[in-house]
Amino acid sequence: MFPLDRSTFDRAQSVRPQWRQPSRSAAFDVFEKLSMPDPKEEAWRYVDLDFDLADYSVPADAGDRVDRPDVIRNALGTTAGVAMVRNGVTTIESSTADVVFARLADAGPEHGTLILDAIPSDLDIFSAAHHAFGTDGVLLSVDRPISEPFFIDIEASTPGSVSFPRVAMTVADNASASVVLNCRSPHDTDLVVVPQIEAELGDGARLEVTILQNWGYQTKAIGQSRVVVGRDATIRISEVGLGADLSRLHLTVDLEGRGSSSEILGVYFGERDQTLDYRYFMNHIGQNTSSEMFLKGAVEDEALSVFTGMIRIEKDAQRTNAHQTNRNLILSDGAAAQSVPNLEILANDVRCGHGSTMGPLDPEHRYYLMSRGLDRERADRLQVRGFFEEVIARLPRQEITEPLRDWFNTKFVTAQAEGRVQ
Amino acid sequence: MTIALHVDNLTAGLGELEILKGVDLEVPFGEIHALMGPNGSGKSTLCHVLMGKDEYYANGSAHVAGTQVIGMPVDERARAGLFESFQYPVEIAGVALGELVAEMREVADDPNEFDKRVARQAEALGMDRFMDRPVNMGLSGGEKKRSEMFQLAIAQPKVAILDEIDSGLDIDAVREVAELVESLRSPDMGVLIITHYSRILRYMKPDRIHIMLSGRIVRSGGPEIAEELEASGYDDIRRQVVAAEADGSAGAVT
Ligand SMILES: Nc1ncnc2c1ncn2[C@@H]1O[C@H](COP(=O)(O)OP(=O)(O)OP(=O)(O)O)[C@@H](O)[C@H]1O
Ligand SMILES: [Mg+2]
Repeated sequence: MFPLDRSTFDRAQSVRPQWRQPSRSAAFDVFEKLSMPDPKEEAWRYVDLDFDLADYSVPADAGDRVDRPDVIRNALGTTAGVAMVRNGVTTIESSTADVVFARLADAGPEHGTLILDAIPSDLDIFSAAHHAFGTDGVLLSVDRPISEPFFIDIEASTPGSVSFPRVAMTVADNASASVVLNCRSPHDTDLVVVPQIEAELGDGARLEVTILQNWGYQTKAIGQSRVVVGRDATIRISEVGLGADLSRLHLTVDLEGRGSSSEILGVYFGERDQTLDYRYFMNHIGQNTSSEMFLKGAVEDEALSVFTGMIRIEKDAQRTNAHQTNRNLILSDGAAAQSVPNLEILANDVRCGHGSTMGPLDPEHRYYLMSRGLDRERADRLQVRGFFEEVIARLPRQEITEPLRDWFNTKFVTAQAEGRVQ
Repeated sequence: MTIALHVDNLTAGLGELEILKGVDLEVPFGEIHALMGPNGSGKSTLCHVLMGKDEYYANGSAHVAGTQVIGMPVDERARAGLFESFQYPVEIAGVALGELVAEMREVADDPNEFDKRVARQAEALGMDRFMDRPVNMGLSGGEKKRSEMFQLAIAQPKVAILDEIDSGLDIDAVREVAELVESLRSPDMGVLIITHYSRILRYMKPDRIHIMLSGRIVRSGGPEIAEELEASGYDDIRRQVVAAEADGSAGAVT
């Protein structure tokens, strides 16, 4: 394994194509100047970063497969392409004619415009490290409508490692694609991952990205994502948050094109002492743009969830529609949720709404259900199922929702059985 | 022979506030009784206290088919044979009626018989199209009551309490609900309906009517009571009660 230092950076440069090297050099300079975020910084205020990136090293190879059943992949059925990024090293297992579905490490200068580098290096030390040390990932470029999903396993497995998986997607004018990202690591392994996911949508393009955050319980995942959306194009991003010790997702959507739209869904369940941190920025830049964020999550035991949502409507983004909703179910006394919706509106002809709620299971609902003969445990399970169902029923790839329902249900049943929920 | 519902000197309230001040009531099997009373007299409280809503304290007794239910958890009362149709049924997002029915089946005494009732009643009440919709969400007032009646029918309770089964309904829906209640009349069940209006009583034949004032049943009698009420409101009854109390004759006027 290689520490995050100059010699490891030089090693990374040596495997990169020449045309990529200058911008990586700049990223390394940024990395050297940055330190771990100060907990007093607004961007990290609710999150306890109890680790130092410097203690983790870049793995020497792809390491071992994560030994967990391929539930999601099996549920998906026919795919347009399958790839694996493990410890930051990519393998393409299958693909479809006339799309680019390739290893980033193999990308030539002709692919230069497909690698967006949309997330700035100076966002934080994690982004800088990603740009400086990451060498591989998946490049997807689609120029026609494709209905079958692309499935990408993103794994990490080496103890003490930090890896930098990357997925860069471009969807051409009037093309469409659906991508499922399945993030996993072993439950008993302390490691860090810094994934970056970026996408650019041409005019009239459609892209669905479904992220299954199923990291192991000792993984710290600092995810960063940015999407730039063209005229009349639609982005749908869904995140299902189930795993990790700390999982953060910093997401920025730029609705640049007139008439573009965005639907962001989230459903999460924090258990034990997990922290699930969502930091979502929705930028309305073009006219007639619309966006919705809808996130629902539960926390039990000593888990913490954080949602910071920012809708920014630029001066010229007239006739914009923007809504954000975050609902939290607090299942134990020691669990907590922070929900901070923000609006920054510079245009005058807009329709905006936001709401956040947090609280325990509804005693009126419990009473109603118990009056139909359901014992309390059963009534609560049904109520919890309904809580998540509002999001799950809207997820883009319905073929994978059955296992998701099971996972959410199992988490709650376990917490019930172990007496951690009230 | 046991009676379906036997309430004896039931007092209940919230903290310092006593709402039910000694309720006595008997509903035999096979009968339908109506409970009427002005706003705030304690009718819904009686329903909730019988069903076991935990915010109320309760003393005294209430037997459902011979089982004393005061002190039991809500679900055990349901399984002892009590059913409450709510004045304001809650809307439960994300939970389809069909899912609730499936859970009811899990706790049913005889799941096969339960399935038969579900099939029969879904057909009879036209409930099939509501099975995939979230419980009570976006349903009209009439549809909500119909859904409650459907759940009543499949639960097949020994005692059914219908709180304001007719409020918020148009004339046709009131008749429909009344006829439904009549059609469910059975020698194995006693029914207590709560209503503000004698209108519903035109379409069904309650065996007895009880009047509640300030947390007590002050008058019980045949259907003629509804007509009296229609004519002179609760004031006459209130005056009679006050006069009777002044006489020193405690208890209800019958
Ligand atoms: N949960 C509660 N919190 C506060 N007060 C309550 C509560 N439940 C009942 N009460 C009070 O107890 C009294 C009886 O209320 P209840 O709802 O039982 O009346 P009701 O006869 O059903 O009236 P209505 O005909 O308007 O439905 C009222 O004064 C009411 O305000
Ligand atoms: Mg009432």
